[in-house]
Amino acid sequence: MSNESHPILPGLVSILRKELRETLRDRRALWMVGLFVVLYPLLMGASLHKMIEREARAEREQNRVAVIGAGSVPNLVQQFEEAGIRVDAIDPLDDAGIAALLARREHTALIRVPEAFAPRFAALRPAPLELWQDSSVAQTAKLRRVETVLRGYGQDIAQARLLAHGVARGVAQPVQLQQYDTASRASRSGKLIAAIFGVFFVATFYFCMNLAIDSTAGERERRSLELLLAQPVPPAAVIGGKWLAAALLCVVGLGLELLFGHALLTALPLEEIGLSWRLALPTLLGVLATAIPLCLFAAAFEIALALNSRSFKEAQTAVGFALLLPLLPIVIVPMLELETAAWMYAVPVLAEQTLLLELARGHAVPISAFLSTAGVSLLAAAAALGVAIRRLRSERFVLGI
Amino acid sequence: MIQVHDLHKRFGAVRALDGASFHAADGRITALLGPNGAGKTTALRILFGLLQRDAGTVDIDGIDPGTAPLAARRRLGILTDQVGLYERLTTREHLAYFGELHGLDRRAIAQATDEVVALLGMDDIIDRRANGFSQGQRLKVALARALLHRPRNLLLDEPTRGLDIMSTRALRRALCALRERGCCILLATHVMQEVNQLADEVIVITHGRSVLQAAPAVLREQTGADDLEDAFVQLIGNDEGIAA
Repeated sequence: MSNESHPILPGLVSILRKELRETLRDRRALWMVGLFVVLYPLLMGASLHKMIEREARAEREQNRVAVIGAGSVPNLVQQFEEAGIRVDAIDPLDDAGIAALLARREHTALIRVPEAFAPRFAALRPAPLELWQDSSVAQTAKLRRVETVLRGYGQDIAQARLLAHGVARGVAQPVQLQQYDTASRASRSGKLIAAIFGVFFVATFYFCMNLAIDSTAGERERRSLELLLAQPVPPAAVIGGKWLAAALLCVVGLGLELLFGHALLTALPLEEIGLSWRLALPTLLGVLATAIPLCLFAAAFEIALALNSRSFKEAQTAVGFALLLPLLPIVIVPMLELETAAWMYAVPVLAEQTLLLELARGHAVPISAFLSTAGVSLLAAAAALGVAIRRLRSERFVLGI
Repeated sequence: MIQVHDLHKRFGAVRALDGASFHAADGRITALLGPNGAGKTTALRILFGLLQRDAGTVDIDGIDPGTAPLAARRRLGILTDQVGLYERLTTREHLAYFGELHGLDRRAIAQATDEVVALLGMDDIIDRRANGFSQGQRLKVALARALLHRPRNLLLDEPTRGLDIMSTRALRRALCALRERGCCILLATHVMQEVNQLADEVIVITHGRSVLQAAPAVLREQTGADDLEDAFVQLIGNDEGIAA
């Protein structure tokens, strides 16, 4: 429409400063930023804290079993004690008494040796042994240990009998299963760190939301946009100023969130659940740098969208719905348990998340992945900005303000 | 100085402007009169380069806003019919913001701020935030930001709407002072009393066409009407859209 050239920067800087100043005086906007700075780290911290506590309690509390008729199974009692499980020999109880005992949660299980046990055992016939448990009281790990001892007890007897008949020990045990867990502490921790950052990134889209909406749809609602467009400032400077203000708020918010999260995770004794949080500050800054293109995209996306709404509320609804799209990968992809692939670096949000996962796992990430991650977010941001600037230039838009 | 010749603009089937021609000279207040929907706002939006004309010529101090909207806007002070302020900024910050957008440096802004504050008598609100301003105070801020960069041409859309008598008088005095300084003032209005007291020239526009441009006295003479309102009604052919 115009063939005159005009510097974009001065107007852009003025608009950026004014939008930031207004937002810094907007209590609602600041509350929102503050909320998202602490929200996800606190949620994460609380759930990890709970995990640690549960683990510690399980270790503190001894595994106890109650045995009725312990006198008939001295070997079993001994094997329990060797496995670190305390045996309380008790007097016979009826079914209701057993239920009441288990409901007190002092014992993982109760073993009742029926009277038929001793004669059948002596006759080399299957001897009945009762294991009572209350499945409404979740003590899976402890119960598994009790069951393991019981199985071992049965196997030992079988082998002793076979030996007595001249059969070698190994015949009755053709396979000896040995279990190994190859997940190193670093790779398990890596998964956790990536998951946490993935969740932290969700907030990116909320840090800039208030400013993005208020400076576009809000300005339309307050009837100040027409006059702004009638100033000697090119549309690119108007959009650019609002965009960078929103993106800047986003970077600051994300930085604070990461710092807060980092402090929280450092303070938690994660070693107790076999994890570790050892991120140096430079790494953290690297993560933030990785996320800057994402901030630029989030701000551009929301501004392009909110520009089409006539009021703050309308824009809030539209942006809220539209945000499901970029946030979907954060939720869906971990559920699909996909292998890391090159295409993931070409999807905004997913690219940042994948990059972090790989870095946190200690994998080498090719430089192309970095470039692709930053490039795709920047491209998406540029596309959104282009749409927004075209919109400001269109007569239909001017007629609607 | 503003010159408009044979301006055409259509939106789909609607002809918003259908051959409007007028001019507003320096050192004069020119009133743009017309019923609602006559094309006043469209004409103003073409003047400040937000809309492109379909045909005709526009000249603001030798600049065509169709090809050089930013240069044209630097010569315009604009007061639209919607006075949108930023509630969390003070009056001084409003003025600084718009001064910066016009490319003024800090010193020029401070000096110009003192001037418009004196001209419009707004010492009491200069460091207050706009939140809670009365309609009159809002209009003063809007006018002050239009005047800050000392534009040669002023485009005012219904500037006295919502003002009390004291504010209206202050505004009239300000406009007269600006006229003395040689400003070209184009005033779109519905208020006949204002036209009577202020306007050196009257442009009557209806159905997107300008039907007459003359001094108020000449207008009354030509139509043979006693007062301006009757003359206006005669010119546009009915009495729709008159809100005095």
